[in-house]
Amino acid sequence: MNAPLLDVRGLSIRIDGTERDLVEDVSFTLNAGETLCIVGESGCGKSLTALALMGLLSTPPLRITGGTAAFQGADLMRLPRTALQDLRGDRIGMIFQEPMSSLNPTMRIGDQIAEAVERHKGVSTAEARKRALDMLRRVGIPAPEQRMAAYPHNLSGGMRQRVMIAMALANDPALILADEPTTALDVTIQAQVLDLMKTLQAESASAMILITHDLGVVAEMADKVAVMYAGRIVEIGPAAAIFDDPQHPYTIALMSSMPAYGARTDRLVTIPGVVPQAARMPAGCRFAPRCPFVTDVCTDMPPDTTVAAGHSVGCWHAPLEALPEERISA
Amino acid sequence: MTVPETILEASALRREFVTKRPLFGAPTLVRAVDGVDLKIHRGETFSIVGESGCGKSTLARLLVRLIEPTEGAVRYAGRNIADIPEAEMRRLRRDLQFIFQDPFSSLNPRMTVGALLEEPMQVHGLGSGTKRKAQVAKLLARVGLPSDSADRYPHEFSGGQRQRIGIARALASGPKVLIGDEPVSALDVSIQAQVLNILEDLKAEFGLTLIVIAHDLAVVRHMSDRVAVMYLGEIVETAAVETLFSAPQHPYTAALIAAILVPKVGVRRAHTALQGDPPNPIDLPSGCRFHPRCPHATEICRTTRPVLSPRSGGGAVACHHADTLHLKGLENAEAGLSAKAAARMELYRAARARADGGGAAATTPQ
Repeated sequence: MNAPLLDVRGLSIRIDGTERDLVEDVSFTLNAGETLCIVGESGCGKSLTALALMGLLSTPPLRITGGTAAFQGADLMRLPRTALQDLRGDRIGMIFQEPMSSLNPTMRIGDQIAEAVERHKGVSTAEARKRALDMLRRVGIPAPEQRMAAYPHNLSGGMRQRVMIAMALANDPALILADEPTTALDVTIQAQVLDLMKTLQAESASAMILITHDLGVVAEMADKVAVMYAGRIVEIGPAAAIFDDPQHPYTIALMSSMPAYGARTDRLVTIPGVVPQAARMPAGCRFAPRCPFVTDVCTDMPPDTTVAAGHSVGCWHAPLEALPEERISA
Repeated sequence: MTVPETILEASALRREFVTKRPLFGAPTLVRAVDGVDLKIHRGETFSIVGESGCGKSTLARLLVRLIEPTEGAVRYAGRNIADIPEAEMRRLRRDLQFIFQDPFSSLNPRMTVGALLEEPMQVHGLGSGTKRKAQVAKLLARVGLPSDSADRYPHEFSGGQRQRIGIARALASGPKVLIGDEPVSALDVSIQAQVLNILEDLKAEFGLTLIVIAHDLAVVRHMSDRVAVMYLGEIVETAAVETLFSAPQHPYTAALIAAILVPKVGVRRAHTALQGDPPNPIDLPSGCRFHPRCPHATEICRTTRPVLSPRSGGGAVACHHADTLHLKGLENAEAGLSAKAAARMELYRAARARADGGGAAATTPQ
């Protein structure tokens, strides 16, 4: 079997002056053409993980305390700054949540895309602009010749996100990192942009790491899913396995609290409390303080248990139906 | 069937904003709300849905006169609130309260939570000092915040907790109608569920009428009794929530429903997404405003503006072809759930209820 495109092992991130890691022991692999969705709520460390892979963490106060990330023969965690700059926008494309603040407001969009091509491919300006125009056409911007001269503020939110995608994909990256790419968009526009990302990804055979809080987006896009809670991957597996055979109480709780499920009149199931802060991270399982299945054993960190091929979970009590009756019923 | 009592009614409501006022010539106008008629029944949850720029937030503000209408009337308990003098309007505001979307920018960071909750009581001259303090404690408990919250400042709270503070503040004056502009859209899913449950409890406890502005149709389906769908300043369809989701009659409603991402792998049809962006509200399309994006548009849609007319099955729809189109409603997400997943979600629900020791505590954070 071929080596994966990206192999992340034991990635840990810490804020200076704290004792515990904010992101702890994150490991996953990604093959060419695959989409991994990292799902979790605010503060679970999903964005930090992506930023670390791109070498974009603010260091200090953040610092990588361990781990490797093998990507095309290099370790992203140990590459010098200049080498990372060469990778970003070329072999690794990035799409962020808020296109208005990620695009340069004073630069015409055609020039912004062309700049990325020129910087990495060393082609002439004319050629780079040709590529930019071609990309605008591919992402479905109407009248792309005219739009080359538009500024970001001339475009709607959906169109700006298309420009971001055009820029991220202009150099045919092997890996796309997308952090909540559709969260700021209206529902009908979100559907359009997700469709577009899927089509373009299939055309270019790029792998994608998509960070989202929305299980609906996950179901739509993912081949693999990593569920993160308080800095740790609590469950990882093929998308179908996560939805059809969810193991971790947090995964199940997330699914249960979605209003899309359940009869309309049912009360929504909640996860009481909030995600623990870095300084007050519990010693064992980090979900324990909010978990209704918690027992004494949960004060120790649960090992990752393999459920099926590629599907593993970090919970002492999975699968839940094996729990004795009196632990669950009222 | 008894006729439900109307508590709030908008008729031919219009609001224009000036976007550009040149030195010479006519100013550029945006018709944010353009001829809206609706009746809100006492005790119901009425949701207004639509995409950015459709005028739903403007409509919400008009309904409680946070802004003045250009034309038309809003009747609360039979009186046109646009004609009520300011002093009397202030008394009326006790009844009509607003919950804002962003719990970070809608609470004064320099006031303690206690002061924030007391302020509406002071403004409306409710209770004395000690009574107010007691009322603050009661409100905090009611929205599931610890009792020592009164002496703390908004920045010490998480987003979900701040939204509870916003709700408690809206409740402080003892309102009859609560209007929420995207009250849960800034929150994480699990926190969103907590806040939705609180709103439902409060509505039942105080007999509130709830008007909710939202863009998330899953949330709307969960909490509403009736729904109005807005597009470019107009209401294009209203119906009871089940009717609207099972048998939408306006193509735009159907498009919104089709765009719901069902949390089940491989469910969504490929590429039936609505094409294009909503047009610029300054330069509105002729005829039906939805026609440039509508897959069913014909000649009449380009020339004649459809009016909101009674639809079969109850409610109203503004579409020339409503009777002949057979649009697809929402497929049941539950049906897509595997037996294993459904069983484990049930285990979680049971364990949660047990850990919380009954219904009321389910909304209390640690």
